[in-house]
Amino acid sequence: MRWITLLASEDPTVTHHWLLPETPEIIYGGLASLIVVSALVKFAGPSIKKGFVGRTERIQKEIDDAASAKSRAEDDARGIRSALGDVASERARMLQEADRQAEALLAEGRARIAAEVADLEAKAEADIAAARGRSADELRSQIAVLASRATPIVVEASLTDAARKDLVESFISGVGAAR
Amino acid sequence: MSREKIAAYAGAVASIVEVEGQAERTADELFRVARAFESNDQLRTTLSDATIPSDRRQQVVEQLLGGRANATTVHVVGFLVATGNVRDLPAIVDSVVQRLARGRDQHVAEVRSAIALTSEQEQRLAAALSKATGKTVDLKVVVDPSVLGGLVATVGDEVIDGTVRSRLDQLKTLI
Repeated sequence: MRWITLLASEDPTVTHHWLLPETPEIIYGGLASLIVVSALVKFAGPSIKKGFVGRTERIQKEIDDAASAKSRAEDDARGIRSALGDVASERARMLQEADRQAEALLAEGRARIAAEVADLEAKAEADIAAARGRSADELRSQIAVLASRATPIVVEASLTDAARKDLVESFISGVGAAR
Repeated sequence: MSREKIAAYAGAVASIVEVEGQAERTADELFRVARAFESNDQLRTTLSDATIPSDRRQQVVEQLLGGRANATTVHVVGFLVATGNVRDLPAIVDSVVQRLARGRDQHVAEVRSAIALTSEQEQRLAAALSKATGKTVDLKVVVDPSVLGGLVATVGDEVIDGTVRSRLDQLKTLI
């Protein structure tokens, strides 16, 4: 109470310097500040220190987490890069396989087409030969029919009485000479 | 008609022909009538037609043969028409001719020719066939235009074929 009274009794209008406080104020203020700082150091310091430690730990943990995340990200990136490499190699392999299969299909198709063409040509040649044979047979048959029809007519027309008599004489002579 | 019946009719006709005389001439005429009956569809149909009265068919026979064949020939053919056996006329006549030939110790030689043969040709042919077959032949000549030319002679089972028709048939087979 006395301090307060003392402070209150001071005349604010009387100062020694327009900027610096009075020496007692400095002293009292310094002591008070020291007391406050000491109190703060004594009572709030541990918690502040603990807070700083916790914060440091938290930051360190975050740093570690970030490093871990970075490591994981790098692993993922490596995996992705590896996967991309695998994809590229798989793509290349698939393209090669596709090319190989396409080439095989093409070769097989060519071979099949060539075989089919050869088969068709053989069949066509056989058909042509058969048709030629049939035509020749039909022609021979028609000629034979025409000849068999025409021959008696021609022979009969050419058989004069004299020729018939000659044939009779020839028969008699032939039979008589048989034995 | 059965073979026995044909043989019976043939025996009866042969006996009649022999009894009536001129057996060889009658046999020749019957043979020619038989061949004409075989080759002429109209004649065969007319003489075989049961719807035509027997008298009418006998008149047809007399009109066809009268004056051209002796009476025995006409009567034999008329008899076969009247008894309804004219369908077997060729078989009966062939049997008659063979019986008569055998009676003379001969074998019937049926000769088909595209043209009629002269007597001299028939004699030479009969001699040639007798020489070839070793049998005395009784020549029966049938004028058959279907042979076209040449002759075919049948003596028993032997056939000597020198016809143009057979040559053409052979040619047709070759073609």
